Amino acid sequence: MNLDFTSVLPSLPFILQGLGVTLQIVCLAGILGFLLGIILSLCKISKMKLLNWLANAYTSVFRGTPLILQLMIIYFGSPQVLGFQIEGVTAAIIGFALNSAAYISEIIRAGIQAIDKGQQEAAMALGVPYRPTMINIILPQAMKNILPALMNEFITLTKESALVTTIGVMDVMRRAYQVGANQYQFMEPLLLAGIIYYILVTILTFLGKLVEGRLRSSD
Amino acid sequence: MIKVEKLHKSFGKNEVLKGISTQINNGEVVAIIGPSGSGKSTFLRCINKLEEPTNGKIWIKDEDITDRQTDILKVRQNVGMVFQHFHLFPHMTVLENLTYAPLKVKKITKSEAEKNAMKLLEKVGLAVKAQEYPNKLSGGQKQRVAIARALAMNPEIMLFDEPTSALDPEMVKEVLDVMKTLAHSGMTMAIVTHEMGFAREVADRVLFLDGGVLVEDAPPNEFFSNPKSSRAQDFLQKVL
Ligand SMILES: Nc1ncnc2c1ncn2[C@@H]1O[C@H](COP(=O)(O)OP(=O)(O)OP(=O)(O)O)[C@@H](O)[C@H]1O
Ligand SMILES: [Mg+2]
Repeated sequence: MNLDFTSVLPSLPFILQGLGVTLQIVCLAGILGFLLGIILSLCKISKMKLLNWLANAYTSVFRGTPLILQLMIIYFGSPQVLGFQIEGVTAAIIGFALNSAAYISEIIRAGIQAIDKGQQEAAMALGVPYRPTMINIILPQAMKNILPALMNEFITLTKESALVTTIGVMDVMRRAYQVGANQYQFMEPLLLAGIIYYILVTILTFLGKLVEGRLRSSD
Repeated sequence: MIKVEKLHKSFGKNEVLKGISTQINNGEVVAIIGPSGSGKSTFLRCINKLEEPTNGKIWIKDEDITDRQTDILKVRQNVGMVFQHFHLFPHMTVLENLTYAPLKVKKITKSEAEKNAMKLLEKVGLAVKAQEYPNKLSGGQKQRVAIARALAMNPEIMLFDEPTSALDPEMVKEVLDVMKTLAHSGMTMAIVTHEMGFAREVADRVLFLDGGVLVEDAPPNEFFSNPKSSRAQDFLQKVL
C-alpha cells in the first residue's frame, strides 16, 4: 500500500469547509432533539394513557426503522407531502432531531424514574404544582443520571451525521468523497475525514468528562 | 379540623382501609398506632390526597377534599407532611429547602421567605446549617429540617409518618423534642408512630388501626392501661 497525501492535502480546506455543515446539523438537531425528547419523556411518565401510547409509538417507530430511511423519506418525500423540495441541510436537521428525540426521550424517562418517588411526594405535600415540581425538583436531579448518556447520544449523532452524504449535503464526509472521486484516489481523503471526525468526537468526549466531573464534585 | 367519614381505600383487589370514620379537632394531637401493614400510612396519605380514597369523604376545615372541585394544592398548603425518610431536596441548601415552596406557591418576597425560614431553623436548632446541603446533615438534623420545611408553609395541620423510625436511637429524642414543642404550641397533629412513650406523653388521643379497621379511639391513659379489644391487648403486649 502506498499512501500519497501530497496531491490531497491542497483539498484539505475544501474538506474542512464541511465542518460548518456537520456542526450545524449536530448542534441544531441535538438541541431540537433534546427539547422534543423532554416533551416525549414527560408524555411517557404522564398518567394519561393516550400520551403514553403516542410517545411510546413514536419511539418504537423511530428506533425500529433505519435512520437512513427516515432521512430519505423526509428529503425525497417532501415534494409529495409539502409540495416543495426542502433543502438537504434542513431535512438532515429535522431527520436527526426526530430520530435522536426518540433515543433521548428514553434516556430522560429512565433518568426521571430513577429519582426517588419521595421527592415528588414531598413537593406535592407542600402544595407545589406538577410543572414546577418537574422543572425545579425532578429534572435537576435527573440531569445527573441523564447527562452522561446524553453526551453519548451526542457523540453518536456526530458520527451518524455522515449519513447526510446520501441526501446531497456537503458535509465533511461528502466533500472527502468528492475529492476522492475527482482524483481517482479515495483512501487519503477518506482517512482525512476519519481524522476530522475522530478529533471532533475526542473533543466531545473530553467535554463530557468535564461536565461529569463538575456534576460529581457538586455531590 | 379533619373529619373522616367511612374512608375506604383499595389497591387493586386489596382493601387496605375498610371504612374509617373519625375526627381530629383543632389543636388536637392524635397518635396513630397499629401493626405493620394495618394501613396507618395509607390513612395518613389519604388525608392530603397523596393517595386517592376509593370511597368515603374527608373534610379539611370545611372543604371536602374528595370532591373533584376542591383545589387540592390549596388544601395541601395548609397540611404539612413529614416522612419517615425525610425527602429533603438534595440539590438545594437547607435554606433553599425551606424557602422553595413558599416562594413558588405563596409568591412572597425572597427576603420575607428567608427571614421566616431562619426563624424556623432557629426553632429546630439548626440555624447554623442554613447554607449546608442535606447530605452534610445527620438523620436527626435532616428530619428537623424536614419539619421546618413543612412549617415554612405555615400550615394549620401537620401529618407525621413514622418520623423517627429511620433514625439512629441517639437522634430520636432531638426530633421528638421538636414535635413536643410543636404540640404544645397548639398545632393540630396526626402522628403515625411506634414510639409508645411519646404517644402516651404527648397525644390527646390514640387511634389504633388493625387490618384497615379503626379498632380503638381513646385517650392514651385509657388505651395503654386498659385496652378494650383483644387485638389492642395483643399488640401492646408485643411492643411494650
Ligand atoms: N402503593 C401501594 N400499592 C399497593 N399496595 C399498597 C400500596 N401502599 C400500601 N399498600 C399495601 O397496603 C397495606 C397497608 O400499607 P400501609 O403502608 O398503609 O401500612 P402501615 O400500617 O403504614 O405499615 P408500616 O407500619 O409497615 O409502615 C399493605 O399491605 C401494603 O402492602
Ligand atoms: Mg407506614
